[in-house]
Order: sequence, then structure tokens, then C-alpha cells
Amino acid sequence: MLRRSLRTQITTRVVTLSVAAAILLGGALVVLIVAVTGQRDAARTAFRSQQALSLADQLEKSLLSIENGLNRYVATEDSSYLKPVRRELASYPSATRRLALLVSDDPGQQRRTRAIGGAIQDYDDLWASVLIDIAHDSFAKARSQVETNGGRARLDAIRRQFASLFDRERSVIRAREDNAEQRSEHAIRLGFGGLVLVIAIGIGFTLYLRRSLLRPVRTVADATGRLAEGDLATRVAAESEDEIGQLARAFNTMADAIERGAEQLRHSNAELKRSNAELEQFASVTSHDLQAPLTTISMYAELLERGGGERRSGDLDLIDGIRGATKQARGLIRDLLEYSRAGRGALALEEVSTMRIVEQVLETLAGTIDGAGADVTVDELPVVLADRANLSRVFQNLIGNAVKFTAQTTPRVRVSAQQEGDAWRFSISDNGIGMELEHAARIFEPFQRLHGEEDYPGTGIGLAVCERIVDQHGGRIWVTSSPGEGSTFHFTLPVAASADATAARLRVRA
Amino acid sequence: MTRRAAGALAALLIAAVVLAGCGGGGDGAVTVGSPRAAAGPEIRIGAKNFTEQEILGQLYSRALRAQGFDVVLKSDVGSSEIIHRALQNGALDMYPEYIGVLLSEVANDRRRPRRAMAAYEAAKTFEHHNGFSLLAQTPFADSNALGVTPAFAKRHGVHAIGDLKKLAGTVRIGALAEFATRFEGLDGLRSVYGLRNLTVMPVESGGRYRALDSGAVHVASMFTSEGQLAGHRYVLLADPRGLFASGHVAPIVSEKVLTAYGPRLSSAIDAVTRVLTTPAMRRMNAEVDLQGRTAASVAAAFLRAQQLG
Repeated sequence: MLRRSLRTQITTRVVTLSVAAAILLGGALVVLIVAVTGQRDAARTAFRSQQALSLADQLEKSLLSIENGLNRYVATEDSSYLKPVRRELASYPSATRRLALLVSDDPGQQRRTRAIGGAIQDYDDLWASVLIDIAHDSFAKARSQVETNGGRARLDAIRRQFASLFDRERSVIRAREDNAEQRSEHAIRLGFGGLVLVIAIGIGFTLYLRRSLLRPVRTVADATGRLAEGDLATRVAAESEDEIGQLARAFNTMADAIERGAEQLRHSNAELKRSNAELEQFASVTSHDLQAPLTTISMYAELLERGGGERRSGDLDLIDGIRGATKQARGLIRDLLEYSRAGRGALALEEVSTMRIVEQVLETLAGTIDGAGADVTVDELPVVLADRANLSRVFQNLIGNAVKFTAQTTPRVRVSAQQEGDAWRFSISDNGIGMELEHAARIFEPFQRLHGEEDYPGTGIGLAVCERIVDQHGGRIWVTSSPGEGSTFHFTLPVAASADATAARLRVRA
Repeated sequence: MTRRAAGALAALLIAAVVLAGCGGGGDGAVTVGSPRAAAGPEIRIGAKNFTEQEILGQLYSRALRAQGFDVVLKSDVGSSEIIHRALQNGALDMYPEYIGVLLSEVANDRRRPRRAMAAYEAAKTFEHHNGFSLLAQTPFADSNALGVTPAFAKRHGVHAIGDLKKLAGTVRIGALAEFATRFEGLDGLRSVYGLRNLTVMPVESGGRYRALDSGAVHVASMFTSEGQLAGHRYVLLADPRGLFASGHVAPIVSEKVLTAYGPRLSSAIDAVTRVLTTPAMRRMNAEVDLQGRTAASVAAAFLRAQQLG
């Protein structure tokens, strides 16, 4: 696995290509060096061989001049001819040694040179020196020896040996030059081929880099630019397993994170706006609603003051009014406190039987229900994971409202529940006054009343509290209604089976 | 890679062995196939410039090589004057010489000993004074002689050397060049026989009989063991005054090599000398001069037959 991913890495490919190019270049260089060395060696050998040829030529000429000098000396008896002969005779051993060093390393040539050296030695020992000795005794005898052509014969033999040496040396030179020539041509061809190959590799390399490196990098860069300009949905295709693929995947992960962050930001922004508006609304409604009882109290207190110290018959009514207004104000403030507490603080989640809760609520509301002569039906209700007190409050408010807002002589209220996916939907329906659809959303705002307090008492905080509680439990609440035909309030709660997940989610929200 | 390197190495080794083998073969001709004698100097054997000498040179050098001596043969060196001087100069260690020629041409002794043993003793003494040893002489004798065609002898009535005096005009003698300056040559013919009408036509050794046959010369210098003399094709002129002395051959050997190798060398040389009878020598001369065989092969065959090589 690791091996496979390594093979696909761009780094590996780049290194491999570079090494291949380097090896090719090195190979071409080596071939060229070998060829140049061969040429140089051939030139050196040729030069040495030329020197050998010229030395051999000199040697041969010197032998001829020895023989001629000897013949002249013997013929003329003039000893002045002898001196150069002796000098030349003394010089040939070193000359043959030099010749042996100069001829090519060919064993045949070495043998020929040795043979020539031996023949010259014999020419000296067995002819030239002996003839000089004989001449010293008798020129006539020496002359008769010259007539035997003994020296000439030896010289001819030596010259034949020289000729064979020359022939061989020349052919060796020619062969070496041909060889070097051939090799250098070969090397030029090879070197050229290697160069072309290296250039081809270079071009291929460039194209490869463009295709698999520059283009994908540019794609990612463009995507980054678009992302920076705000196009958060920008993604790049990450097909390969190599570094570019990694880059693309990393980019996509980053873009995902940014988009998610932006989404959360937008969401919490909206939330903030909404709660801000709610707060403003709340403040104005609350101040308005609190003003009414306070105005009443202030006015009644003024009327009492106007009466001076003495009591009047209407004073008790005024005091009752002040008490009523104070009670109203206290009720307002209490509801305000309830609302502000609702949906705040930790939920004491537990498995609760909604059936049981509804039964308790009905007991609590028994007076009201009996007073209104209402008929309340409760269907089978489930066990859910919820805060018992809060859930009680929801049912109490909703059932209480259903009994309260009624036009009929016999209010009918039905409490039911059904499972929808992973949530329970609870419904509390009545046959009451109903409402226009346009008010359906407004009724969940605090202190929003569709009717005057004189028609239907209450501060208008109940539904707002219900919404907060349901919301805190991870559900939602809404109403379906039409005027004169009653309303049905729905709210959802997660089913108990997914309670753990719900609890976790709720804790996070808390 | 490793395998290729190994292959190259093997090829190199094989080439080296082959080359070494070739080199050995080329240089080893001197010592091939024989146990080496006790270490000592190279023995340089000389031979003069005619057939019999060439055969003698081959005989001695091959026999000595067979005994393990380190021998170099320098054949075709030249006349006695040249070859003896070369020996004295130290350029040679040994060569076979004719007693008569040695005495007359080298020792300059004009007395003509009547008996061969006396001549040999005189020659031996001479060489001893020179610092050389004259080893035992051959059974065969190859004396100088003058010969003519039978037709010439008949026409001019020439049967002895002195008869040449009778001939009109100059008598042309075909001989090796040194004949003109030798006592056993033109000098002796003049002084011993009083012949004045002679001139020497220098010819190479092999050319003498051709020159005689073609009539280019009247008389030819001959050697009595030469193969051409078989079958009475030529008439040898009588030498009543004994101008041409002993024709026996004895090897002259330097004290240097004799001292170096001891009696082993002289006995090896004597073993060859001993078997060189007149019929044997004449047959070998004929095989080279008349049958065109090489001196080397003739000598080798003879030594094999004598179990000497």
C-alpha cells in the first residue's frame, strides 16, 4: 500500500525522470570521452609510430653509410673514412633501443625490432669490425672479402627486415586510425542520439509538469480565488492519489469548513436579529401593559387625595380599584418572570408518561373545566424524555387556552399524540373561536393578545412560554385554525428511543 | 552485470594464456624439448658461407641443443678470415674449421705438412696460443681442389695442376672471392706451381659448378666432399706438390664456454665430430646441393639416425 502510493507520488516520478535523464547524459558523456580518448591515443600512437619510422629510416641510412664508408676505406686505404664509420657503429645500440620503445606494442613489431637489432649487431661483430681488423693486416685480403659481398648481403637482409617493420607499422597506424575514426563517428552518433533523447525527455518533462503539476495547481489557485471572493460552494475535483490530489482534498476540506462556518454565522446572526426584535417588542409591550395598572393606581390615588382627610362613600371602590390594578401589575410581573425563566436553565430530563402529566393537569384545571362545562377527551399518550414540570406547564397552558377561548356552550377539547418519524406530535384541538391564519404566528410572541382582556383574561404570555419550552426540548410548536371552527395546537417531542441523542443535543444547546 | 564481468575476465585470461603460449613458442626454438644443461653462457656457433659449413653448423647446434645447451647458430658468416677474426673478437664461441685452411690462411703457415695428424697438431698448438681449443677432428676430409669438366681435360690434356701452365691465354678460375688472396688459392698456385696465367672469377659457393658447366670459367675451385663430385662428372686435378693440405674439420671452441660447461660440452661436440665420415658428409652435401633440401632438415635427419638429436 505504502509502496503503491510512493510509486504514484509526483516526487517519485520527478526523481525517476531526473535520474534517467542524468544517466543518459552521463552515458553520452562517457561515450564521448572514450571516443576522444581513443582519438587522442590513436594520434599519439600514430605520432610515436611516425617517430619510429623516421628513426628506423635514419638507422637504415646510417647502416648504408657505414657499409659505403667501409668499402671506400678498404678500396682507398684512406683511414679518414674510418672515423665516421666507427662513430656510427658506436651509435646504433642506443638507436635500436630507442626504436624498440617507439614501435607499437604489437608483439610482432617488438620481435622484428629485436631481430633487426640482432642483425645489426651481427653486421658489426661478424662483418664490419672484422673487416676493419682484416684491413689493418692486409688491405688486399680485406678487398677480397668485400668482393664476397658479405656485408652487402647482410645489409640487404637488414633492409628487408626494415621494410617488413615499416609495412607492419604503417598498417598498424592505419588500423588504429581507422579504428579511432570509426569509434569517434560512432561516439558522435551516440552522443547526438543521447542529446536528442535528453532533449526529448526535457520536453516530455516540461509537458508532464504542465499537465500534472501546473494545471492542477492553477485550478486549485483559481478555486481559492473564487472562494476568497465569496463563492463558498467552490470545490475542485480530486481524482489522483498524488500530492496534487492531496492538495485538492485539503482545499475541499477547507472550503467545507469555511462554508459550514459561514452557515453557522448566518444562522446565529438571524437568531440574534430575531431575539433582538423579540426583545424590543417585549420591552414595548411590557412597558405598555404595565402602564395601564400603574395609571389606574396613580389616578385612584389622586382621587383619594382630592377628598382631603375625610372619607367618602366612593373611597372603598377606589381602594378596591387600586388593589385590582396592583394585582394586575403583580400578575404581569409574575408572568414576565415566568417567561424570562422559561426555556432558560438546565432541563431535568427524565422518562415521563405524558398520559400521567395530562391527568394531573386536568386535575389542576378541574375548577376551570367544570366552570366552563367543557368536555375533555384524552387519547393514548406516549412516554417521552422531557422535563416534567416544563412539560406540565405546556399542557396546562394549551388545555387551559382551549377551554378558555370558546364560544360554544360546551367546549370540546381533545388531546392526542401520534408518531411521525423520530418525533411525537401532540395535538390539542378545540371547537373554540379559532383565528385568522395571519395571526397564527403572532400568537406565540409574548404579551400578544388577539382579544381584549375584558373578553378573555390573561397576560398573553402562555403561548410564548410554551414555545420556549418546546423549543428547548428540540421540538416545535404551531397552530392550525380557522375562525369560528376552533383551533388545533401541535407540538413535537423527540421519541423516547432517541432520547440519548436528544439529551446530548439538548445539553449542547444548554 | 557480474556474469558479464566474469566472462570478460575469463576471455582476458584465455587471451593471456594463448599469447604467453605463442610468445613461448616463438622465443623457445633454442631450448625446445630438452632438459637444460647446467646454467652457463649462450654458445654462439658460427658457420661459413657455403653448404658444407651450413650443414656442420646445423649439426653441432642441433646436437648441443638436444643436450640442453643454450645455442645460437650464426650461419653464413663469411670466409675463414672473417669468421676466425669474429671468434677472436669474442663475437662467436665456436665454429668448425678446416685444418689446412686454418694453417695456411689464419696461422699463415706456408709449410705443407705431409701427414694429416701433423697438420692437426700444428693447428691445435696454434689455437692453444690464441686462447682457443681445437677439439677432435672429423673422420672425413674436405680438401680444396681444382676441377675441370672431363671434356676440357681431354681436349687440353689437363690432369694435374701443373698442366694448367700449358694452356694458352688466361685461365679463368671460378672460386669464392677469398680464393684470390689465399695461399690455398691463387697465391699458392703462383708460388708453389709457378702459374702466372690465372685469374679468379669470384662466384658464390653454389655458382661454381654452374659457371664451370656453362663455360664461363675454365677451372673451378672445389671441395672434395661436395656432392657434385659423385658420378665422375668432373675431373679433379692432381696436386703432387701438396698445395691443398688437410681437409679434416675440427671445431675451434672458446675457453670461455669450455670452462663454463666443463667436459660435458666437449664430449657433446666430439660425439658429433666422431660420426662425420666422408660418405656421410658427401651424402648430406648432395642432399642439399643436388636435391634442394635444407641444411637444417638434412642435419636433423642425420642426427636422428645417429641418435644424437
